[in-house]
Amino acid sequence: MDRKTYYGKFGGQFVSESLMNTLEELDKAFEEAIKDEKFLEEYHYYLKQYVGRETPLTFAERLSEKYGTRIYLKREDLNHTGAHKINNVMGQILLAKRMGKTKVIAETGAGQHGVATATGAALFNMECTVYMGEEDMKRQALNVMRMEMLGAKVECVRFGSNTLKDATNEAIRVWAKTAEDTFYIIGSAVGPYPYPKMVKEFQSVISREAKRQFYEAEHRLPDVVMACVGGGSNSIGMFADFIEEKGVELIGVEAGGKGVKTGEHAAAMALGSPGTLHGMRSYLLQDEDGNIKLAHSISAGLDYPGVGPEHAYLKDTGRVEYVSITDTEAMDALLELCKLEGIIPAVESAHALAYAIKKAKMMEKEEAMIVCLSGRGDKDVNTIADYLAGKGYMN
Amino acid sequence: MNRIEEKMAALKGKNEKAFITYMTAGLPDMEGTKALIKAQEEAGTDVLELGIPFSDPVADGPVIQQASYKAICQGVTLKKIFSMMEQIRLEGVKIPIIFMMYSNTIFHYGVKAFVKKCKEAGVDGLIVPDLPFEEQKELQDAIDKEEGAILIQLVSPVSGKRIPMILEKAKGFVYCVSSMGVTGQEAGFHREIVKYLESVKALSPIPVMMGFGIRTPKDIVPMKHIIDGAIVGSHFIRLLEQNHYNTKAAADYCKSFKKGMQNL
Repeated sequence: MDRKTYYGKFGGQFVSESLMNTLEELDKAFEEAIKDEKFLEEYHYYLKQYVGRETPLTFAERLSEKYGTRIYLKREDLNHTGAHKINNVMGQILLAKRMGKTKVIAETGAGQHGVATATGAALFNMECTVYMGEEDMKRQALNVMRMEMLGAKVECVRFGSNTLKDATNEAIRVWAKTAEDTFYIIGSAVGPYPYPKMVKEFQSVISREAKRQFYEAEHRLPDVVMACVGGGSNSIGMFADFIEEKGVELIGVEAGGKGVKTGEHAAAMALGSPGTLHGMRSYLLQDEDGNIKLAHSISAGLDYPGVGPEHAYLKDTGRVEYVSITDTEAMDALLELCKLEGIIPAVESAHALAYAIKKAKMMEKEEAMIVCLSGRGDKDVNTIADYLAGKGYMN
Repeated sequence: MNRIEEKMAALKGKNEKAFITYMTAGLPDMEGTKALIKAQEEAGTDVLELGIPFSDPVADGPVIQQASYKAICQGVTLKKIFSMMEQIRLEGVKIPIIFMMYSNTIFHYGVKAFVKKCKEAGVDGLIVPDLPFEEQKELQDAIDKEEGAILIQLVSPVSGKRIPMILEKAKGFVYCVSSMGVTGQEAGFHREIVKYLESVKALSPIPVMMGFGIRTPKDIVPMKHIIDGAIVGSHFIRLLEQNHYNTKAAADYCKSFKKGMQNL
């Protein structure tokens, strides 16, 4: 068996036979590209001149003072399109171009990855179709409009739960039919190998920058590095350069929804069991018959019943600790960051912040942590308003 | 000898092509499924594929997706399908039956326990569309040990140089997918279909079946000299739905397809 496709017992390529050659071709093209100076130069050019990197590492003064430790925020919210998703889209779309593909497809839940893909497709003049569940299209109507303004076609997926999980299934189906001229841009650290590897590579810029920036500020390594985990793209990028630094404590924060004991959550690591979905073997939320359960979170970006295979491996080896934060805790942290630092974070990122606050209370004053602020909260204003009005939320 | 292999040998002796259907287990209900199996056995269907419903049927087109979803909503589970299988075998049903299912259902049940249960329940073969050759080791090892159901290998029009590897230990028959993508394609077969089927046939020591997008015996005229049989899935499900799962309608279709295939 080809073990290079695995992270421990997780990962692999659970796809139909007709995609196996495509995946091999993709892996080969990717490996060549990331060793090619010209490709890397182009990728970094667009990250700098188009995405707006590097993003700052902001010392959160008032938050640090209140909770008694040094808290730094890696500002992925300041990227073009408002989140870390664009880092990966730039890498994959340049790879698509290099492979001679003329069309790209993507799945999207909240719409952030869809918007990032539509953006990249506009920039590189590629035909773009985004698959989105009917439910998600309703609750993220603004992002649907943004994608359409950017020239993408948004395909409505009506099956099962009508959400991200089903949109991903549909994107995989379409890809299996059209792989000859179409590149599938997966937005999270999930999917069949080599996708988890590619997404990690293109998101690892987050930790490379953060490590250097932190060193410039503190002349050492951070004590704790933290990020939220849905499928796990911002977190794998935030952890990448610190995994080998054994002295750095790594923490992934899952969405606990209404509480992990209520059954309405997205904590695949806390309560999932190994299984196969979307081409990978990983921890998944499943029912007693092995059907995939619906995830629940106030944050659409964390509302996924699985997690990337490398995270599953990092959990099993104990290198990363995975914890969960409820909807309410995340919203409290979100509002606190607004007031204390003048930053409106995405609801996803607020999960990492909420745990950072808990963790800070256990840390010494001179210790320091980096929290990945994966995106900005502009997209979440309706969710926040509904939450504050006590209406619950649409999710 | 496995029932599928026996059937293949018998068909070869008679110089007949195999007719294989697919239907989702548990529709319209478990009793209805039993009746449809019996009606088809009588009508001359050679092998039956039973679709085990899964929440995320990524290799299936809309017809089978919807059928699968409907079955789940009605409470159809693998355990219930196993008991139905045990019953029909006790009732004397001898037609070879293949489970077409997704890997997660097997992993969740436990690979070894699943293979053992298949043998007990009289399941003769497995088709797992999201378990390509490289991922089959765990299941294949369990199967080799148990000597029960066999794992049917799938080949696609773009398998190319992978074909010899896939065929090396293949058993029963080879399932040639007629197009890229998912079940029930309206768009027709792959543009290189004949060349592709010829290349598989040339290498295959076991019968070669074609599936995906077949509706009538006429559909296989261009490849009648190559393939050893045809599999009808989405179209059969649609036909069952349109006829409210009437067993006579199912039997009539199977009879006429089987007959039509011998007169191509």
